Amino acid sequence: MTVYLDHAAATPMDPEVTKAMLPYFSDAFFNPSSPYAPAVTVRRDYDAAKVRIAAILGAQAGELTMTAGATESVNLAFAAGSGHVVTTVIEHQAVLAAADRSDNTKVAVDAHGRVDPEVIRNALQPDTWLVSVGLANNEIGTVQPLAKIAEVIRQERAKRRDEGNGQPIYLHTDASQGVGQIDINVARLGVDLLTMNAAKIYGPKQVGLLYAERGVNLTPQIVGGGQEQGRRSGTENVAGVIGMAEALARADAARKTETRRLFDLRNSLLSTLEAAFPEMVVSGHPKHRLSGHLHVSFPGIDAERLVFGLETKGVLVATGSACAANKGTRSHVLTAIGLAPDVADGSLRLSLGKSTNADSIAYAADAIIEVVGKEMRRVNR
Amino acid sequence: MTKVYVGMSGGVDSSLTAALLVEQGYEVTGVYMKNWTQDLPGLKCPWADDLADAKRVAVQLGIDFEVFDFENEYKQKVVEYMIDEYKLGRTPNPDIMCNQEVKFRLFLDAALAHGADMIATGHYARVQDGILQLASDANKDQTYFLYRVTKEALDKTLFPLGEYSKPEVRKMAEERNLYTAAKKDSQGICFVGQIGIRDFLRQYVDPEPGDIIDKQTGKKLGRHDGAIFYTLGQRHGLDIGGGLPYYVVGKDMASGEVYVTRDLNDDSLWRKTIELSSVHWIGREAPDGRYQVRIRHRAPLVGAELKAGTLVLDEPQRAVTAGQSIVVYDGEECLGGGIVGFAPSR
Repeated sequence: MTVYLDHAAATPMDPEVTKAMLPYFSDAFFNPSSPYAPAVTVRRDYDAAKVRIAAILGAQAGELTMTAGATESVNLAFAAGSGHVVTTVIEHQAVLAAADRSDNTKVAVDAHGRVDPEVIRNALQPDTWLVSVGLANNEIGTVQPLAKIAEVIRQERAKRRDEGNGQPIYLHTDASQGVGQIDINVARLGVDLLTMNAAKIYGPKQVGLLYAERGVNLTPQIVGGGQEQGRRSGTENVAGVIGMAEALARADAARKTETRRLFDLRNSLLSTLEAAFPEMVVSGHPKHRLSGHLHVSFPGIDAERLVFGLETKGVLVATGSACAANKGTRSHVLTAIGLAPDVADGSLRLSLGKSTNADSIAYAADAIIEVVGKEMRRVNR
Repeated sequence: MTKVYVGMSGGVDSSLTAALLVEQGYEVTGVYMKNWTQDLPGLKCPWADDLADAKRVAVQLGIDFEVFDFENEYKQKVVEYMIDEYKLGRTPNPDIMCNQEVKFRLFLDAALAHGADMIATGHYARVQDGILQLASDANKDQTYFLYRVTKEALDKTLFPLGEYSKPEVRKMAEERNLYTAAKKDSQGICFVGQIGIRDFLRQYVDPEPGDIIDKQTGKKLGRHDGAIFYTLGQRHGLDIGGGLPYYVVGKDMASGEVYVTRDLNDDSLWRKTIELSSVHWIGREAPDGRYQVRIRHRAPLVGAELKAGTLVLDEPQRAVTAGQSIVVYDGEECLGGGIVGFAPSR
């Protein structure tokens, strides 16, 4: 039996998404910029896909820039202004690296990984032009109070108007981890810029978008033929965008039932593991957390050994953070929430998804109990 | 319980080595020696994958696992030695140096310092009463690479694979469901095996182009891209086409000339009398007398007479190359050996 519990890293393509994409690799291969009728049809399909995506975001198609994934979208967002930026210490590497290209403040989070909107307010400077806070953290699943942060930004705008400070300020969120589990309507979130990708919602990899409300002046990072209204040149990834639209529509339609289902499965896994290992540390906000996400730590245990042990049983999980693990360095997120090194090093990220069901959770729980138990006996002998 | 530290490379041999020792009741710790991590043109260094594979097997076996970092030492003792030798016009054997300096010195010392009683590796060789002996599988025997190891090191070393053939090792690894059971074998110095010594040396030396000279006629046949790349007996890569193949019979590192011939019986291609340098005897110094010797890994054992540091082979052997090692055997016992010097008359 194979139980895949790393949906936060990658998801398999939904067969319906693949099916929607396939014609655009063969019969409908035309360059959407070409003048003849079959190409014009492809252009219409492409535009329609963007409209479909925009509708779910509550945006206009013209406010979307299609990219080759979330990292590119983040880079594009951070290039839209200059001055001071505010973000948090637990953001994805893409955001941290983009922020480091300018004057920035990375605010701390609490032990659950949640940022206090007042801390954001206090970090604002007169020349702050961007605040970037991830919708949900990819490692511990904590969901941020984005609407409250948006309120802080609105108040800052009013304050600047009163003070005659003409510096605009925008709120950006990397929503890659939240899509499919959280409402991503940009008005309700209160964001001016939003990054997301298709790879986490059973769509293709290397397809993403940046939503930017009309007032934001994006500076193209890839120049050339002027596609995407000049904001991102390069022949359109028609199949990819069609796939993303299909994936997002499906994720959005299933969102409420799927979130509930994953929530119950995750909690059942959590209670089984808690009963077996009283010393286990659970990270992430108890309430404001992605419902399919579970981050657990076994103090004194080497998480990579757990991953290898579980893999022989067909259970595929991540160590605390996939990116950090590959580099052999400790996760900055776990350090930021105050996990001691020997706790952080024993962390597993279990992320559930469409293929997860009661049977696979029961199987995975047994496997985890066995493998962790074996490692604990080895370490303590 | 005897504590054994096993060098685990992430390959099938060392994986089974660890498994067998666990079964034999040793308290086993797996160690990945991090010797080389650099990517090279056309080669993504697989060290991280190999390390992960070694660790996977350690987890399967339920044994402790550690990483010993010898990257600096390996560069100094093995890679720099290798480059220096090539610069001098010789053809060194870095695997022998790696065993001498890294595996059976640094690793051994570090393991003992960590509390080990012994070390083990996946070499195909046997040790009995402190004597290094040929592996049961004559085809896989790796004693050629081990002749510069000290007796003190061998006294603390286990070679559990010495009794088995490679097919048996694969089969036993499969039976135990070891993660690496089907993994492809790699060379000791994997980067050289993968990209070729030519591309490797290019990273470190600026080769001087020079003339290719026909030894028989003295005529210039063409140009080469660096004498350092050519080794005695080499046939390919000369880029002088047409007719019978040419063979490298010598080179002059100072002038950059590489000498070639079409004469398969050329004197420089065949050597019978070889003076050994840097001689190393494992236990007892080999008295003058008759022995069997191996002039390269997997070459058949051939008869020879040892007299005052000089070997006289029963039959002349082809391409006995300066810088390579000749290893001396008395029956099953590997006594040691030495490094081939340049032929006296070139």
